[in-house]
Amino acid sequence: MTSSVATSEHETGSLRDRVMDLVRATEIDGRLLGMIVTLIGIEIGFGLYTGGSILSPVNLLTFATQAVQIAIIATGMVLVIVSRNIDLSVGSVLGVVAMTYAVLMHEVFPTTIGVDTPYGWLIALGAGLLIGIILGAIQGFLIAYMKIPSFVVTLGGLLAFRGLVFDISGGSTQAPDDTQFVVLGGGPLGSLGGTISWAFGAVIIVAIALYLYYNRRQRRRFGFPVRPMWAEVGIGVVGLLIVVGGVAISNAYHWPAGLIEQYAAQHGISPEGLVIEAGVPWPAVILLAVTLVMTFLATKRKFGRYVYAIGGNPEAAELGGINTRWTIMKIYILMGILCAISAAISSAQINGATNDLGNGYELLVISAAVIGGTSFAGGVGTIPGAVLGAIVIYALRYNLQYIGLPSNNQDIVIAVVLIAAVAFDTYSRRNAT
Amino acid sequence: MRKRLLAMATLTVLVFAACNSSGTGGSGAPGGTGAAGGGCLVGVSWNNYDQERWKKADEPAIKKAIEAGGGTYTSTDAHDASEQQNKDIDTLINKGVKVIILLAKDAASITPAVTKAEQAGIQIIGYDRLIEDEKALYITFNNKRVGTIMAQELLAVQPTGNYAIIKGDPGDANAKFLRDGMDEGGLKAAVDSGKVKIVGEQNTPNWDTTGAKNEMQAILNANNNKVDAVLSENDGMATGVSQALQAVGLNIPLSGQDGDAAALNRVALGQQTVSVWKNAFALGETAGNAAIQMCAGTKLADVKAPSDLPDASKPADLASHPFTTPGGKTVTSFILNPTPIKKDNLSAVIDSGWVTKDQVCAKVTPGSVTPC
Repeated sequence: MTSSVATSEHETGSLRDRVMDLVRATEIDGRLLGMIVTLIGIEIGFGLYTGGSILSPVNLLTFATQAVQIAIIATGMVLVIVSRNIDLSVGSVLGVVAMTYAVLMHEVFPTTIGVDTPYGWLIALGAGLLIGIILGAIQGFLIAYMKIPSFVVTLGGLLAFRGLVFDISGGSTQAPDDTQFVVLGGGPLGSLGGTISWAFGAVIIVAIALYLYYNRRQRRRFGFPVRPMWAEVGIGVVGLLIVVGGVAISNAYHWPAGLIEQYAAQHGISPEGLVIEAGVPWPAVILLAVTLVMTFLATKRKFGRYVYAIGGNPEAAELGGINTRWTIMKIYILMGILCAISAAISSAQINGATNDLGNGYELLVISAAVIGGTSFAGGVGTIPGAVLGAIVIYALRYNLQYIGLPSNNQDIVIAVVLIAAVAFDTYSRRNAT
Repeated sequence: MRKRLLAMATLTVLVFAACNSSGTGGSGAPGGTGAAGGGCLVGVSWNNYDQERWKKADEPAIKKAIEAGGGTYTSTDAHDASEQQNKDIDTLINKGVKVIILLAKDAASITPAVTKAEQAGIQIIGYDRLIEDEKALYITFNNKRVGTIMAQELLAVQPTGNYAIIKGDPGDANAKFLRDGMDEGGLKAAVDSGKVKIVGEQNTPNWDTTGAKNEMQAILNANNNKVDAVLSENDGMATGVSQALQAVGLNIPLSGQDGDAAALNRVALGQQTVSVWKNAFALGETAGNAAIQMCAGTKLADVKAPSDLPDASKPADLASHPFTTPGGKTVTSFILNPTPIKKDNLSAVIDSGWVTKDQVCAKVTPGSVTPC
């Protein structure tokens, strides 16, 4: 198997070079692999420390769900940073939109269309999305067309939009949301359920297979080099295992006793021996969809290529005929949309909105992107990397909370691990070239 | 060049306009300023007037008490900046106030302005937050007692079992006061006797709602959902905790403080046991009333709290008491009592005008609790 890869002049290289070649043949980003290894390392470490209890499905699902809001916005932050800009306003934009959702469902709907109507939550979502787009467009316009530095504009956004949250809420917490809306937040009641989760998994597996096939055929057609067959099959098998594993873990989490009793009482059945599989949480489904769409936009569409071109060399991109202004503005509109999606999950998770919702998110989102391999120098960064970055941060935070470490010491541990992870990656790359 | 000058001029005008509008926002009503009436002019220096509470409860109560005593109310707002607050005090001195009611942004950095005011013969009331000054009157709530009430109320309904404690920001002294108060409210005794076991205790940076929810999820998972009661140090965090509990089908005793409308709604729905409420109307009335007495020349030690305060907020007696500050100084003080709001006294918050019936009763089955 090894010989089929090592077709290059590295034939006689060390074991290290051979491993690197193997990785290179699969065309998987090294940083991405590093993140996955870090994540597995964290889980094994805490697993040993807690005697395995931390590896139970509910724990894995909980931190994955907690990471979703940050991960969603981080997919957009990658493009922002790649284009040599920054967005500090994400937490405040999220706050404004989340508060809009809550005020609509808590104060406006009861006196107009009624509480818990089948379509009310969709109206709220639509309104929030629109506000996200507007706030993103305003900032994007100031940055792209007025040429005001993005740091200044979005710092203004951070302050002004947080102020706006108080104006919308009147200063007080707005809760609760409509019951259908809360499903977006995940938890046993906000998951797909056992059967649908398997169907969902099956669809994804088919999609992966089709994508690999189509991609290989396209490359052949245009005379691009293709991955060796073993690598294609390998990626397919790994994808299959991840999907099957993910669904199996999600389904292994069963509804807790309290919910079972409520359910049994509502349906007039005995709670004895009743087992309901939770399945894949909705936030995870949304994150998957966002990651796929964003990756597609970034790698397969003109828009994405322009973004990376601008990041690589703004002057050359402009001279090359790219409408850099419109491209930058589109990035910020996209950020507004992502913040609105994230806001829905944030609000659903606390069933309402507080004035502090989204506070401090800018740093978490930027961290996720940077840890995931996005470079502040511009032009470099991947979307799946940022998503993994967010998951690593929350895996650490959650596991430290689980073992009951005081919050200040959690911060210390997280800082050390994150720097170590990135340092290791930087070191191994430098030595690899 | 000319264009830039024009732009700068426009900006200057805009800034001044903005300052003016926010400056007068506080005094609002006609006749709010100007000591022409001859009565006592009382100035309030707000730290952060944009927070709902001051506008809704404290200000009207202070104003009412001052006007009832024949005085006049005026105010400034520092927009949460201690430097601005020093300037605000200068403004109030120049306006000719006799008493300043001071909601201090920062106890230490306000000292120069306080000294200046006292040199001008102005008396100071430290309102809600402590200022380290022996000549000032300090009016506040018993913060430790908030924690005591939380523990008492939860232990009354859940005397045994697994307790989780969601505390506030680790850097906020209040978070620790509350925790100490809980121990005094019987939590320590219950733990020592083995009736109660604390299965999770965590500080929440910035009292963040989502942070509190995440902590609660970790505690629930670490204990297989075997948690019997949650002491949350405020209502905002209780919002996050409540959702984490509901997501796993738990409905267990839960505490909070501040009297947030959403929390009072949870109390009505039976999802939260108690929200400890600091009756800001009572605090404002005490301050306004004291200011009038001080204006009339009453000595600080002889100033009395108003006799018509709601029973729940009233201190043990109406006389002022010495209070030893963390800085070791002794100040004259009125320490009011916080009020536990539970299912049976929800009407109190509605009647006082703190929240509306609609806010408390949203989604509540009519007739299930008194006001709904």
